[in-house]
Amino acid sequence: MLHDLITITPQHESSAKMVFDKVLELRNGNPRGKMIITISGEVGSGKSTISIVLGRLLTNQGIRAKIIDLDDFYKIPPLERRAWREKHGLQSIGYEEYDWKKVYQNISHFLQNKVCSMPCVDLITNHVDELITDYKGVDLLIINGLYSLKIKEADLKVFIEQSYDKTIEYQHYSLKEKLDSYRLKVLQREHEVVNSLKGLADFFIDFESSLYHL
Amino acid sequence: MLITEKHKQAAEIIAAHIINNRKDRMIIAISGESGSGKSELAHAIAKILRKEGIFAKPLHTDNYYKTHPLERREWRLRHGIENVVGYDEYDWEKINQNLDDFRNGRRSEMPCVDLVTEQVDRLITNFGEVDMLLVEGLYAIKSDNVDLRVFIELTYLETKEKHTKDARGKEIMDEARWATLGQEHKMVQALKPRADLLVTKEYAVAKAAIS
Repeated sequence: MLHDLITITPQHESSAKMVFDKVLELRNGNPRGKMIITISGEVGSGKSTISIVLGRLLTNQGIRAKIIDLDDFYKIPPLERRAWREKHGLQSIGYEEYDWKKVYQNISHFLQNKVCSMPCVDLITNHVDELITDYKGVDLLIINGLYSLKIKEADLKVFIEQSYDKTIEYQHYSLKEKLDSYRLKVLQREHEVVNSLKGLADFFIDFESSLYHL
Repeated sequence: MLITEKHKQAAEIIAAHIINNRKDRMIIAISGESGSGKSELAHAIAKILRKEGIFAKPLHTDNYYKTHPLERREWRLRHGIENVVGYDEYDWEKINQNLDDFRNGRRSEMPCVDLVTEQVDRLITNFGEVDMLLVEGLYAIKSDNVDLRVFIELTYLETKEKHTKDARGKEIMDEARWATLGQEHKMVQALKPRADLLVTKEYAVAKAAIS
């Protein structure tokens, strides 16, 4: 993802720190080294921001973490997605929209320390570029995305709790997409799919209430 | 990166200027010192142009350093900051190649630094679908292959508080970092006469006096 704007709040920092501590604990019991962490949650729950803060905490510890965002892996590119969804119906919205073959190619190349290519959306132009990265020397793969919980190979599966109201509220402030009645239906459908996967997670963060821990 | 109202207001004026002076496959360059708001301004301008139906892609020259991010500091110290900090740290051949690819609407490969891993990835983009390029960086307006040059007048001394921490929030200010900013200041200010538009310290936009 290129040209994403992020705002780091104390909640993001405390959430990332919780995941960070868990990662260190898992690494101690896992000499294999290479680890995969997935971060899931609804739109606007803070997945990508927490991933970045976590990535930086790890880098400071000498652990190199590469973040991949599943929003980059949609089979239908951003500029065509709405028309495609309208044509195929709300039922077409869900994890089948991702290009899982490319996701798994990245996972396997990461595990084998190889060079790999991935799609990369420029959030200004909405065009899809191609990013080539060398996984050699990368210790940790952080995969964030709505449906990242589908990845069984993950060593840690994080889910960020957020009420549906909050998801809608976030949309009003977000400049990313216009909130109209169709967009609302899309959010409702994504909400259902994400929540159907929630049981696969093994680490939960209540983002809203983490405020009170500070 | 934090885009504020002042960036947006300056971006509106610059975007209007760009549209009024629009050229086919136009290249706009933005220069200014570290912390002056180049990326924010480029981002805000690109967003406004996108609303006008123009696909403008920002290009950050910081991706083109010849030295690797993790080795740069050490390299600068070894060679002497005042001797090496400046234009020649960038791979201009590669920048000019990418600008030329844009002019010709070709597919192009460029370096792209991952700010978390600090590795240099490669990014392939199809310039055929991009209408304008917004090249942003300390010395971006130095390139001859540019149609409009924007210069931000804020200096590092006026944005001091921004420099006390690195991207990860770690305290990094030391003598070497200050010396680097001081040297960059000299090199950047030397480019100011090339500017077509000036963004003042208060973020007002003015046309540069015709020299």
